Amino acid sequence: MKKFTRVLSVLLVVAVVLGSAGAVLAQDKKPVVGVVLKSLANEFFKTLQEGAEKWAEEDGRYELNIKGMNSETDIDTQLTIMDTFISLGVDMIVLAPADSSALVPSVVKAQQAGIPVVNFDVRLDADQLKAAGLEDFMFVGPDNEEGAYLAGMALAEKLGEGGKVFIIEGNPGADNAIARKAGFDKAVAEGKLELLESSTAHWETEEANTLVANLLTAYPDVQGIMCANDSMVLGAQKAVEAAGRDDILLVGFDNIAAVQELIKEGKVLATVDQFGAEMVQMAIEVGQRVIDGELEPVGWEKTPVELITIEDLE
Amino acid sequence: MIKSKKFINFILQEGGIGLVLLILIAVFSIAAPRFATVTNFSNIMQQISINTAISVGMTYVILLGGIDLSVGSSLALATILAGKAITNPNLPVGVAIASACLAAVGISMLAGLFNGFVSVRWKIHSFIVTLGMLNMARGAALQISGSRTIFAFPAVFNRFGTMTFFSVIPSIFIIAFVLMVIGHIILRYTVFGRMIYAIGNNEEAVRLSGHNTGIYKISAFVFCGFTVGVAAIMYMLRLNIASPILGVGFELNAIAATVIGGTSMSGGKGSMIGTFLGACIIGVLNNGLLIIGLDDNARQMVTGFIIVFAVVLDTYREKLAKTQKE
Repeated sequence: MKKFTRVLSVLLVVAVVLGSAGAVLAQDKKPVVGVVLKSLANEFFKTLQEGAEKWAEEDGRYELNIKGMNSETDIDTQLTIMDTFISLGVDMIVLAPADSSALVPSVVKAQQAGIPVVNFDVRLDADQLKAAGLEDFMFVGPDNEEGAYLAGMALAEKLGEGGKVFIIEGNPGADNAIARKAGFDKAVAEGKLELLESSTAHWETEEANTLVANLLTAYPDVQGIMCANDSMVLGAQKAVEAAGRDDILLVGFDNIAAVQELIKEGKVLATVDQFGAEMVQMAIEVGQRVIDGELEPVGWEKTPVELITIEDLE
Repeated sequence: MIKSKKFINFILQEGGIGLVLLILIAVFSIAAPRFATVTNFSNIMQQISINTAISVGMTYVILLGGIDLSVGSSLALATILAGKAITNPNLPVGVAIASACLAAVGISMLAGLFNGFVSVRWKIHSFIVTLGMLNMARGAALQISGSRTIFAFPAVFNRFGTMTFFSVIPSIFIIAFVLMVIGHIILRYTVFGRMIYAIGNNEEAVRLSGHNTGIYKISAFVFCGFTVGVAAIMYMLRLNIASPILGVGFELNAIAATVIGGTSMSGGKGSMIGTFLGACIIGVLNNGLLIIGLDDNARQMVTGFIIVFAVVLDTYREKLAKTQKE
């Protein structure tokens, strides 16, 4: 036992020495940015990760430490990642929170440790931030409502007034699902469309396929379908095709490769690109401007959203 | 009077879950004129196919008193391997499709073999082993696919997927139905099938009478893997994509179909026909509740309630069966 303890303590000393040596070396090197992502199982975040890695290599100013998890709702893993970055003493953290409220204490902890945090993609809860003393904390991210509105209006213009539509929503309660629904609703009102039904398919292809097939039975006179993400467009499009209804127009959100293909074939009208591959880069650049004192860390730094139709893909 | 009571008993005893299904169909037909149409029944058949296929295998596992939580993840992994094979531009179309089928069935049978072997060899409850497999298969699917959706399958494959026979019966329903009939025949008329019941009832007795129960248990998990592999191909036929994130929660639907169909969670009791009817009930509920105009939250609540109600009703059927025998 004594021997074991001695070996252990020697190991510990070695680890500490190596660790501090590493830290000293790191200081001479590039600033380290800790990137906290949501689910890397999600194609969107995978694109975001790869885009960030490519940019960091080309740009050469920063060393990125990118961490994510395999489930959209794994809040615990994100909290652990935040703690790890704080104890590593990274120079900046950019965070896409899995939960708008639960990550606020971690952000406060990082700020107190002198690490600037940039919140991107999903906005942290304003009330929770205020309670923690971070009023009007800066957010860098896309306007999901605006994006959905663009897609909705593209559909409305094709259908004309009185066009009958479904909205296929994302997960109930998710921030981006709520914003996208609001954008679609706005387009329905402005385009004077008739909303037949709005239901959730929880972002999923198979569920959207079942839902849309059943909705087509209930409302055969539908003319257009707005889906809150592209995975659901894939399912909805198959349901429309199986029903032999090539007159129904579809719009989605995310601009994934499979849907680009359908747009080129004329089977989907439009989707929305929110430039995931560049989002980490935008967040870090905004963070750098804050560190350099060029920018007040408040308000919403909007990242672009763009409507993608067949003209953009040719 | 006595006669009619006997008749009701007979219906309850033999009909059981089938009766619940008929009542549901009758109620929806009255409440929503668009429910009882050929197109809608065709839709329902398509929507229950994948769950039916998985539930066939799940029934074997549950009859043994086990459970397989890994079916949804294994399904995703199987579609990824099959998707890679089927989109391989170097293979002729026929070979690509054949190797996709082999890959899907092969990998999920392998997962089943692992589940069965580990739970038998180290006497670990399948709940834990398959929970592990749920994570392993999902991780592998994400790793192999790079989290990307695979698409652009051969046109002939996609066409077969949307094909209907007599413009009513979807092609994938036929696959599910054949699988169910095979599952039924094996369970009813083979030594292997009878052994599944016997082990589920009293494993110790079967072991003491000189049988190697382990082999049968492992085979049941491998068979469950086989049905998952077939279901993976059905998924690709239906939606023309392969994705590492699909199939989340499929295990719960399959377990629900099996249990609603009268299979006992502690094993030894149940039937394939029951499981099929259970899958039908879930599909009809899902479809009918939407068509009569219930919103998301109400649908979820009603579905949950009816699942419990169906199983409660089934316990009465059992009691009746017992008293009749006495």
